[in-house]
Amino acid sequence: MFTKKRILQFCLAAVVFLLADFWIYQTLSANFQSYAEQRNFNEIELFARTAPEGQDVQDYEQWLPTVKSIIPGARALYFSYDESVFNFVPATGSPTAMALWNSNRGSAEFNKAMESVYYLEPMKLSRMFQADYSKDPDENSAEILGSQVFFVPVIDETGYQASGAIMILVPDVSVTGFQSLLRTLLIAAAVFFLAVITVILFTRDPMTGFMVLALFVIVLVFIAYPLFEAVRLSFLKNGKFTLEIWKECLSPTYIVALWGSLKLGVLTATFSTLLGFIFAFLIERTSFRQKKLMTTLATMPVISPPFSLSLSIILLFGNNGLISKQLLHLNTSIYGLGGLTLVEVIGMFPIAFLSISGVLRQIDSTVEDASLDLSATKWQTFRTITLPLAVPGILSGWLLVFTNSLADFANPLLLSGDYRVLSTEAYMLVTGRSNLGAGSALSFLLLMPTLTAFLVQRFWVARKSYVTVTGKPSTVLTELTSTPVRRVLEVISWAVLGFILALYLTIFAGCFVKNWGIDYTFTMANWGEALSRGWTSIRDTVTLAAIATPIAGLLAMMAAMLIVRKKFPGKRLLEMLIMTPYAIPGTLIGISYILAFNKPPILLVGTGAIIVINYVIRELPVGLENGITALHQIDPSIEEAAADLGADVPTVFRTIVLPLVRPAFLSSMSYTFVRSMTAVSAIIFLISARWNHLTVLIFNFSENLRFGLASVLSFVLIVIVLGVFALMQVLVKDDKLTQKTISAR
Amino acid sequence: MEKKSVSVTLEHVTKRFKDVKGKADVVAVNDSNFIIEPGELVTLLGPSGCGKTTTLRMIAGFELPTEGKIFIGNEDVTMLPPNKRDTATMFQSYGLFPHMTVFDNVAYGLKLRKVPSEEIKVRVNETLSLVGLADYGDRAPSKLSGGQQQRVALARSLIVTPSVLLLDEPLSNLDALLREQMRVEIRKIQRDLGITAVYVTHDRVEAMSLSDRVVVMKDGYIRQIGAPSEIYESPNSRFVAGFVGKAAFFPVTIMGHDGPHWTCDLGGRAVVVAHAADDVSVGDDAVLMARPESLRLAAPGEGHIDGRVRMNVYLGNSLESFIQTPFGEVLVQIDDPHAKRVYPEGAEVSIDFSPDRVRILNKDEE
Repeated sequence: MFTKKRILQFCLAAVVFLLADFWIYQTLSANFQSYAEQRNFNEIELFARTAPEGQDVQDYEQWLPTVKSIIPGARALYFSYDESVFNFVPATGSPTAMALWNSNRGSAEFNKAMESVYYLEPMKLSRMFQADYSKDPDENSAEILGSQVFFVPVIDETGYQASGAIMILVPDVSVTGFQSLLRTLLIAAAVFFLAVITVILFTRDPMTGFMVLALFVIVLVFIAYPLFEAVRLSFLKNGKFTLEIWKECLSPTYIVALWGSLKLGVLTATFSTLLGFIFAFLIERTSFRQKKLMTTLATMPVISPPFSLSLSIILLFGNNGLISKQLLHLNTSIYGLGGLTLVEVIGMFPIAFLSISGVLRQIDSTVEDASLDLSATKWQTFRTITLPLAVPGILSGWLLVFTNSLADFANPLLLSGDYRVLSTEAYMLVTGRSNLGAGSALSFLLLMPTLTAFLVQRFWVARKSYVTVTGKPSTVLTELTSTPVRRVLEVISWAVLGFILALYLTIFAGCFVKNWGIDYTFTMANWGEALSRGWTSIRDTVTLAAIATPIAGLLAMMAAMLIVRKKFPGKRLLEMLIMTPYAIPGTLIGISYILAFNKPPILLVGTGAIIVINYVIRELPVGLENGITALHQIDPSIEEAAADLGADVPTVFRTIVLPLVRPAFLSSMSYTFVRSMTAVSAIIFLISARWNHLTVLIFNFSENLRFGLASVLSFVLIVIVLGVFALMQVLVKDDKLTQKTISAR
Repeated sequence: MEKKSVSVTLEHVTKRFKDVKGKADVVAVNDSNFIIEPGELVTLLGPSGCGKTTTLRMIAGFELPTEGKIFIGNEDVTMLPPNKRDTATMFQSYGLFPHMTVFDNVAYGLKLRKVPSEEIKVRVNETLSLVGLADYGDRAPSKLSGGQQQRVALARSLIVTPSVLLLDEPLSNLDALLREQMRVEIRKIQRDLGITAVYVTHDRVEAMSLSDRVVVMKDGYIRQIGAPSEIYESPNSRFVAGFVGKAAFFPVTIMGHDGPHWTCDLGGRAVVVAHAADDVSVGDDAVLMARPESLRLAAPGEGHIDGRVRMNVYLGNSLESFIQTPFGEVLVQIDDPHAKRVYPEGAEVSIDFSPDRVRILNKDEE
């Protein structure tokens, strides 16, 4: 592989390309520099012509700063012609320019320039001078910068004589800015080119190499780079390293918010786990009948759009809520920890439910039988056998809910009231005070507990499972609950589901009410207004989600194939980077995206592309997991047979892998679509005047107390999401055949 | 469809894997060096984990040798990916594409080669009838029996007229009767088409009955290469002798070597033997290897080793007599028992053999 010939070819190609690269850089930057100089020259001459007539110093004092409107950051100094010394003497102007004049006056260059001005010739000094702009700072320049120095005459009314001179300093930022951009681009091109020829020359299978390379470029640019920028900028203030931002974030004000997040997380996780356990136990370990129906209903809140549950809680229990005000005439407020916990539990207990039922389902009744057989009571059996066996599921359910609650953004935004949590604090800092650095620092603060919980769940609890899959179906279920106990569980479960259903119905009702809380007359007006005002948002949201969906699906399956089937260096790193967005709060991703992509070389803020990229990156982890699981169930010799018959890697992917993982592919696509439609925490930072998001619009309407409009849009969103899920069910159903064959072989 | 047969050459091929923790190296194949002649069917035989499948996968291109080179014909293919090699593999699990019909499975390789669809149709049907599945084109692979799936896999491999056919224990999922049929079929097709073939198996009967030559492997090392008869009759180690057939080993001391004759001491008696492995010499403690069918039973004192019949197992065409001797239990196979004298269980006997039917081997277990 590393033959002499190839190494030689590599070196040759590298040298040729690097030389070409360097030459392009030199030429372009020299051209740009002379262009910029010429332009500055012209601008300055134009500027000199606008000089006030006469020699009144006060006029000049007012006029000089207008140079900044022509060349940003420039400084000017006015010299009047003093006939007594037959020379120009400084009269008024910028202290920066004055300091430069004082330290250089009398030098050959300056004398020559003055002479030239005397003969009405403007002149630019050939070398750069360091000027200290902190003497009269502005937003463009406040430090010591290399500057070009221009001298121009002010010509008196006769047109033959210089009545004065102006010295103008132009900081070299525009040129250096352009050069650093050019340098970044050409270095990127060189790195990319070297990577490509490395793949071509030194890998056995260049197609695989290119696919891996492409994935690496994507994750490095769109995952690693923004996070790196977020970290970097949280340590910078005015371009200098500082701990100030972090100090501010660790001050009592924000520690309170961190504490608030944690308290909310613990409460939500605990109640959700409890509720999830009741549901899971009822469905998996009792002879309860409507298992299917209850599972479907109980998992509904997972896909419900953000704000919708909060919205209906406000409609029912808010300050003007139907139940709190109209029916019970209460004066307590739903805003705060209580209301938040209630909404989050309802929205997140399905996560705990799914996790716990997964474990409960696997417990073989024979172990319970054995316990009962050894004359333990049912309660003892539950306490000493069933419950301990379910512990891993319970723990991981708790941790998953905890992570979700910490990262939750939508509910606190509407319902927190005076209660403070980190995710919304970060949002306020960014939008209210446009303090991006502090926003990202706060999000990192949030990341610590989230990441800890995520890692504990993934690498410790998930591996501690006692339950092994034996492949032996247990036929008989031993019921540990007596009928009355089961009835109690049933009643609790139905009551919760009834409440959830009532919440959805409230939204539906909200669509037709004139002014909730005040005037409950029936009206269709909300529909017209909501749809006309929300139409572009609906269209944009669907369009962007529809673009992101196939990209995320294909990328995920491709990554899964490479990770499961191919060997390449950096595989663990790639997998880890792709999984990263799963563990970090959306707020952080959103903030890091605006930090990284609102400037060259990648300027994306304000475009639809940044939203699409964000969707793809955030939903890639789940697709990857699905793909990996699906591929592990497929005999690798199927793909090997295809390769053996002459199919290259992309062909194998297209004709074999993709059809075989179709169920996983479809389900991750529908997941991506739904999640993109209901995204809010990262998206709220990335929307622009051109590209709005439906969920953000719902938020805006609810914030402005236009509950009718918010209800209509929530309802529309729910219908779209449910529609996609139904479609997906139909598509995967006729795939049962394929699935069976794969696992049979 | 005519194609010139090519050879396959392995030049000092070594393959090392990382162990599960990724630390120590595990040597799967150690300095394999052999040539498979054009049109030859060579079997790689050995217990599981001996490196035979790894060797095959390196020839196919699924694995990359750590060291060494692989040639197909005169072309160095070491670095070529599988899709660029003129090989076709039949997998133990067949690797049929479950989402395609039998026809599409077989046609896959031709479609990749951009063969016009009319020609594909003709050739697929031709190949399917070659393997006796002419009417099965529309079926899904999962609707076929194991033997039929096997034949679809064979047809799929053959249709692209590979220079080298690689077979990775293709018959291990079939029942005994089918296995025998398929064995004959594969051998027949391979000979008719003149394809060079490499066949991996751990079944010695399969190896013996199919191959032109057998490569016996153990722990990544090639132990012996030779025609089936050579491997069976003249093994050069105890491992090969024991792996390719039943054998009894008696400890001996080599006393002398004179021309073709070796004299050795077997439990105090001098015995003359006509064959010996290369790695034994006078003065060594060695073992005498004898196949059950090479041994005869004689009256006590008349043979070389005394013993007593412990059990007789009647098999129809032969009889297996288990003899208790000072060197342990020895199996003597008596062919056509009706024509010979059979000693009853419990009888004192002596085991006899002629010098040219036994062989002296190094006493190492390996």
